[in-house]
Formats: sequence, C-alpha cells, structure tokens
Amino acid sequence: MRPLHPVQVIGKFALAMIAVVVMQGILAYKFSIFTYFDFPLICTVYYGFTLGNPMASILMGSTLGLMQDSFSAAALGTNGFSKTLIGFLAATAGVRFAVDQAITRIFALFLFTLADGLVVTMIALMVAPQSNATYSGAVGGWLLSATLNTLLGLVLFGYHDRLANATT
Amino acid sequence: MATIASKRPVWITLTVALLVHSVLISSQTNKRIDSSFLRGWILDLLSPIEKVVDRTLHGTGSIWDRYFALIGVHDENLQLRAQIDDLSMQLGKHREEILEAQRLRSLLGLSDSGVGKSVVARVIGRDPMQSHQSITIDKGRTHGIQPDSPVITAQGIVGRVIFASNYSSVVQLILDSQSGVGVLVLPSRRLGIIRGNGTSELDLDYIDDDTDLKEGSEVITSGQDRIYPKGLPVGVLSSVSASKGRLFKAARIRPSADLGRLEEVLCIIDRPSGTEVVDSLNRTPSP
Repeated sequence: MRPLHPVQVIGKFALAMIAVVVMQGILAYKFSIFTYFDFPLICTVYYGFTLGNPMASILMGSTLGLMQDSFSAAALGTNGFSKTLIGFLAATAGVRFAVDQAITRIFALFLFTLADGLVVTMIALMVAPQSNATYSGAVGGWLLSATLNTLLGLVLFGYHDRLANATT
Repeated sequence: MATIASKRPVWITLTVALLVHSVLISSQTNKRIDSSFLRGWILDLLSPIEKVVDRTLHGTGSIWDRYFALIGVHDENLQLRAQIDDLSMQLGKHREEILEAQRLRSLLGLSDSGVGKSVVARVIGRDPMQSHQSITIDKGRTHGIQPDSPVITAQGIVGRVIFASNYSSVVQLILDSQSGVGVLVLPSRRLGIIRGNGTSELDLDYIDDDTDLKEGSEVITSGQDRIYPKGLPVGVLSSVSASKGRLFKAARIRPSADLGRLEEVLCIIDRPSGTEVVDSLNRTPSP
C-alpha cells in the first residue's frame, strides 16, 4: 500500500477529530445516556497508545479538548488541559506497557476517565468557586462514565485494530 | 543523557500546551484578554457540520416515522380529529374574551404585552459534560442573537445565550450550576432567586422564612435580573423544607419547560423599550 503524504495524514486525523466531536454533541443531545460517554477521550487514549509519537498525542488531545470546550459552557481550555495531560500519559503508557492487551486497556481507560473527571471538576471549582453545583453525586457519575467509556473503548479499539490490520 | 535530550521536545510541547490552556482559562476569569474569538472560530467551523448531521438524522427519522412506523396511526388520527373539533369550539369562545381584554387594556393605557422581537432556533447539540448544562442552537449573531439573550419555549424559560458566533450560539440552561434567575413566587409575589445545581430541579433562594410557601405554587420571572422579561413561567414548587433557625426557606422548583427534550426554542433578540411582559396569565397582584 502506497504511504500517505503528510498532508493527507494530517487531513485524515483532522476529519476524524471533527467527526468525533460532532457525533459526541449530537448523540448526547439525542440520547441522554451519551452524556456519560466521552468520545474525544477514547480517541485521545487510542491514538496515544498507537501513534508512538508523544508530541502528536499531546497536540491531538489538546485540539480535541478545545473543540469539546467550544460546545460547552465550561471555560475554554478546561477539557483542552485535561486531554493534553491524558494524551501525554497515554503516549507514555504506550511505550512502557503492553497496551494491545485487553486488561491493560481496561485499566487505562477506566483510570483516564476518572482522572479526566477529576481534573475538569477541579478546574471548574477554581474558575467558579461560588458555583452552586452539588458535587456529592460526582464520584458516582465518574464511575459510571469510566465503566461505559471502558466498555465502548474496548469495542472501538478492537474494531479499529482489525480495520488497521485488514488494510495493511 | 541521550534519552533526556531526545525527550526534551516532548516536555517542551507538553509544557507549552498546558501553559496555553492555563492562560486561556485564566483569561476568561479575569477578562483581561478576550479569547472568545477562538471559541467563535471553532463553533463557526464545527456547527455547520453538526447542523448537517443533525438534519440528516432528523430527516431519516422523519421518513421512518411517516412511512414505516405506522402502527396505531389510524386510531391516533381519529382521536386527534375529535380533539381539534373540541379545541376549535373553545378557541371561538376565547377569541371574544381576548378581544375584550385588548379593549380594556388599551383603555388603561397599557401597551401590548408581547415578548418583543424574537427568532426561532433549532437545537443542534448538547453539552456532553454533566457538570455544565448547555445546548447549541443554529442561530447566531447574523440573526440578531447576542450574549445574555433570553431563550424560552411556550412552556417556560430555558436559559440564556452565553456565547454567540456568527451562525450558532451556546445557551446556558437554567439547570446549570452557574445559572441564576430572578423570580416571583405566586400568589404571594415574593421575590427570590432560582439557581441551578446540576440536577433536574432548581433551588429557590432568598425567600424569607416567614413567607408561606406551598408545594404546587407557580413561579414566574420577576424581570429584575434584566435578562428575562417579567411574567414568563419558570416552574412550580416541588418541595419546601423548614429552615430550622436559618434566615431563608429552602425550596425546590420543577422547571415548566421540558429541558431534556428541547427541539425548537425562541430566542428574544429585542425587547420593546419600556415594556415588560405583563403577567400573561391574568393573575391579580396581592395588595
């Protein structure tokens, strides 16, 4: 198979990122269960594991997070900050651990989702300390998100791996 | 050493990215730097795509509902025709009452109690983060929408615009934890403030402990927050609890508008100067 031109590679990733953010917004609006999923996070973690390039993972996480913030009432940069960190950590984990194993992916997705929820909540509290939000149920929401993200991530990772293997 | 040197660009990239995001976040808290152009660019780029995808999904669903999912349609059709006949008779009766009210109002020198110039917008997305409750609509600055424009439905208020790009806007729902609305509790017409708390109900604050509040009481906008016109439905009291030595009562409100199923909303872009929405439900104020 002919290798892609760098511009084609960047274009492919840009389209994928736009599709991920747009689908997240629409599915969350149509079906409330999708408010617990985080497609940009799953995308950041997957490409952090597979790209083998920490700088690309950092930039991808940063861009996905910024796009996610644009559709949100959260301060611009909240998800960008969180996904940047997660992109870096996922790329680092991709080098040190066997991330093609299901058990590693389960741990990684679960922990990254919890970490994302924690970082975003902390930033929200720092930005608006007088917020009236009740965070007593936040941990329950994070755990549910982590579980659902892990399940969806495993399915998508497996499917994407098969697709990548089939085309090479 | 070679390993550290080869990892330096990664650390530099990470540090720069985190710094940029930190500056973006802090610029929005102290408003020294205006970073809203970035959100505007991203929204203007992504919202047309979201609009197209949403319309495609909606069209597909519509074709399915109209041509394939037809079980029970005949019975529903007959039922609806009977309802239309009934409503037509009631409408005829109310038309006369409306004309009479208009004549009386003009005698008193009151202007029309319309909400002002408004634009219908379609909801094209929802904030997937649970901690922030917001929706995206398909109208923006080119349609006259500005930040702080109120957004309502026929059932009640929905929220306010917090960011408007050229062709789309982000609306903060009244359920959002950072939202606040000035209200009147009927029939006592006590002033209060409702705040979102991230759940499906609202907290009612600053109601004196000696005020008699009853579950089921209606709550309307007071107009004092200078965002929502006066007299719009907000919700009904769902629970009231004794204050036990505190200054204010604790009460919860169930919103009138179905905020979980928004499809089209009305965005008020220009209120006629010197007017408020006079209580449109003909309630008489308490002495």
